[in-house]
Amino acid sequence: MGFLTILKKLRQKEKEMRILMLGLDNAGKTTILKRFNGEPIDTISPTLGFNIKTLEHRGYKLNIWDVGGQKSLRSYWKNYFESTDGVAWVVDSADARRLADCARELHSLLREERLAGATLLVLANKSDLPGALTLQEIREALDLDGIKTHHWRIIRCSAVTGENLLEGMDWMLDDIASRIFTLD
Amino acid sequence: MSDKNSILERLSRRDAQRLEKLQKAHKAREEVDASNENEDFFSGAFKIKSEYIEQLLSQVPTLEVSVLPSHFDNIKREVNELQKYVVTSSFFLKEFNMRKYLGIVQNLQSKCYELEDRYVPRKKFGFTKKKLPKSDSHKQNSIDDHDGVDKVDSNKWDEKFFGFDSQNGKVLLLENDDLFQRDVALRNLKNCTIGLKGVMGTLHLTNLDNCVILSGPVTSSVFVDKCTNCKIVAACQQLRMHTSNKCDIYLHVTSKGIVEDCSEIRTAPYNLRYDDLEKHFNMSSLDRNNNNWDSLDDFNWLAPDVPSPNWSILDAKDCVHDWTEWWSKVPS
Repeated sequence: MGFLTILKKLRQKEKEMRILMLGLDNAGKTTILKRFNGEPIDTISPTLGFNIKTLEHRGYKLNIWDVGGQKSLRSYWKNYFESTDGVAWVVDSADARRLADCARELHSLLREERLAGATLLVLANKSDLPGALTLQEIREALDLDGIKTHHWRIIRCSAVTGENLLEGMDWMLDDIASRIFTLD
Repeated sequence: MSDKNSILERLSRRDAQRLEKLQKAHKAREEVDASNENEDFFSGAFKIKSEYIEQLLSQVPTLEVSVLPSHFDNIKREVNELQKYVVTSSFFLKEFNMRKYLGIVQNLQSKCYELEDRYVPRKKFGFTKKKLPKSDSHKQNSIDDHDGVDKVDSNKWDEKFFGFDSQNGKVLLLENDDLFQRDVALRNLKNCTIGLKGVMGTLHLTNLDNCVILSGPVTSSVFVDKCTNCKIVAACQQLRMHTSNKCDIYLHVTSKGIVEDCSEIRTAPYNLRYDDLEKHFNMSSLDRNNNNWDSLDDFNWLAPDVPSPNWSILDAKDCVHDWTEWWSKVPS
């Protein structure tokens, strides 16, 4: 192992990523963030504004921005787009009524120039609830297969049980890493 | 003679020791070296994998339509793996080669998408409108025509709808097991009293006019949208209220409630009583001792020092203190 190799390995460790968590209100964005960070999730209030968490995972430094999803806040989402590496789009799997809204917001987000190239992870949250839609139903309703502009993946998860959260995040990190490192 | 023998023996022993030591050192060096972290090994492995993907791609035209989606998933997974392999090897690959390999991966990827487009036709994106089905109520068989209430858009997920829709002047009740942890919806109701004796996952109240809602504990959120002149008695973790006015909320909320685009909202503490209420509270795991009914956040009023004009606390003398008679009567 030469000196250069060591230097390169060290540089990898310094990698920072900026991840934006978006989705309709009540999707569970803040709950997912807090669950990641190991904080209690039973006292979470609807997000008025945004939360930022910086955490270390697998040697990456992740800056996760969780922006409130209420209608009156959605117009501010664009203020957070700059230099975003990955978007975690959180969907409430039990809320079939607003899936059309959800699809519309997602697709208008993907048209955003500043998010071009960002990795998209769709988290089908609350999938443990009775009456939750299946992954396939959500995939169709959101027309994910029509997305050609971004690397994307959908994964079922539950912020309450913690199921699949890490798997989803790991995929996103790998995908982002594969892009970022090619630019070195 | 014996001297010579012993010297020879010693020499050969030392030679063996020396060899052993050399071998150990060599081995140790090899371990550090990680012989698979070099370009030759990499290019070999890369070639095998990329050829495998090519082979998968060439199989596409011969396969049946039904197995194609999983076949494409498989290919995409392989391509991703390969990409990951290139990237994790970035620290020993030369810049130029790195680009070359990634170019090949990219190529495979676009080939895969191209083939998928050609062989797996996609449905066009869109939401179909379906007719509103009957609500899930067993207690309500006749559904009156609604009288000109603006209906909230229905969509193709209406088969998932659970609750009451499009009623006027009714007393309706849902209980226990029907409700347990469900996503319950009440919408397009006028002059109705709705009793919900059970533990729900989420409760949606949409487009209600002059209704009384008497609800047991809701594990996550109560959504209120486009409601006017309603009395809502509810216990929940979060209250989210939108585009509503002139509503009185008798609230137990363990985190916080919010209002957005609302006016003339009044709040009071939760004061519903029915036989199984305590049991339901325990099942919902809501904290009975933690109630923030008197501090709502208003998304249209961000000044922290001036109280929002859109909601206020309901004067005790205007409160309904006992809901017993309300379970069975239609609001006037």
